[in-house]
This record gives sequence, C-alpha cells and structure tokens, in this order.
Amino acid sequence: MEDFHPHNDEMIFNADEAHNIVKECIESVLGKADYNHNKVNQWTAAIVEQSLTHLVKLGKTYKYIVTCAVMQRSGAGLHTASSCFWDTTTDGTCTVRWENRTMNCIVNVFAVAIIL
Amino acid sequence: MPTGCGPACGRGEGELGLPPGRVFIFSRFKSSTVKECIHAILKEKLADAQYVPEEVPQLTKSLSEIIKDRLKEEGFDRYKMVVQVVIGEQRGEGVNMAARCFWDADTDSYAHDVFVNVSIDCFTIGNVKLLLL
Repeated sequence: MEDFHPHNDEMIFNADEAHNIVKECIESVLGKADYNHNKVNQWTAAIVEQSLTHLVKLGKTYKYIVTCAVMQRSGAGLHTASSCFWDTTTDGTCTVRWENRTMNCIVNVFAVAIIL
Repeated sequence: MPTGCGPACGRGEGELGLPPGRVFIFSRFKSSTVKECIHAILKEKLADAQYVPEEVPQLTKSLSEIIKDRLKEEGFDRYKMVVQVVIGEQRGEGVNMAARCFWDADTDSYAHDVFVNVSIDCFTIGNVKLLLL
C-alpha cells in the first residue's frame, strides 16, 4: 500500500477519549463493590459490554477489541503485555488500571481501523 | 501449504458463491492452529521458568513478541493481530477475564490458551485476536 495518511478525525483513534469512557464504565459497574466470586463474571462482562457500546457509538470506522481482567487483591503479582501487528498510523490501544480496597481491574482497548 | 491469498483472493461477486462485497480468503485464520502455536510457545518458555517478580515484566513482553513473530511466519498475510499475555502469581486469589469484540465475525477471530505452572504457582494466559485487513 502507498503511504496512507488519515485524512479526517474518523481515522484517528483518540486514546484519551477511550480512557475516559472505560474509566466511567468501570466506576459505574464496580463502584464501591467488594470482590465477590459469584459476581465477578457478571462484572467483567458488564464492563466490556458497556465500554464497547460506548466506543461504537463514537461512530468511527473501527473494529474494537475490549478485554477486562479483575483480580482479587491478595498481594500476588499480575503482569500483562501485548504486542500488535498492525498499522500504527491508524490503529491504537489504550489501557486503564483501576483499583479499590479488594480488587484490581485492568481494561485493554484495541482499535483497528477499517479501510473502506 | 498455501500461504497468502495471492491469485485465490478475489471479490465474491457470485462466482465463488459468496455474497457481493465479501472477500474470499485463502489463508483463513484457523483458531486451532493458533491455539496450538500459543500452547507450544508457552510450554517451551515456561516449563522450567521461575517466578521472579523483577523478571516477569520482561518475560510477559518477550512472550507476546515471540507469539506475534511466530504467527507472522504462519502466513496469515492479510491479517492484523493483537497478542496479549497475562502472567499472574497464584496465591489463592480469584481472577476473571472477559473480552468482547466489535468486528466482522466472518473473517476475524481469536484463540487463547492458559498455561498453569503448578511448581511455581503461576498462571499464564496467551490471547490472540486476528483481524482481516
């Protein structure tokens, strides 16, 4: 492909905007909750689904991948890394870390442009 | 094994039995192949690994790079990919992970594999998403 230059806002992934969207979703779901084994499944599902819905509503020509991990706080370590093979001029990622007294939550958003 | 979609790739305008506008992909991503690939790498790299907190950040990074590079060699030419690796220490805590994707379910897909290292109380999740260009 020849040099491709994104020519409008629709082809630029705004990581800050995504960060805010995700953060609000996490807060609305986890809020003041404490870690609960029976509810965590439902929580992670709610976080990814709400975040995804809001991202799609931005109306950009992107495909999205949203992952969320919730971990009970016990002093154990957790490490995540990602590597992507994509077009860095259009595609982007954003990571949100959130924690309260009893749990840690990490949400990753990957946005991949659809070239029409 | 054919790699790439070279001459076998074309717009489906009826002759390939595809709806108009759909693209025929010869080297379509196979979830099982990718899963095997992730499993092999995790097994190879982690079987004798120790949980050293200082080294784990580097390990997660290098694992994700290795998986990405290995999959590039598999020849999914027309795919972009996202590789995510999570390594956690097991101290009896609960962990839950979820993902949702907004994409073309006909062409895009994912594979994942979990490797639990009993001897050093640590688990690793390898997660790959492939998206058609």
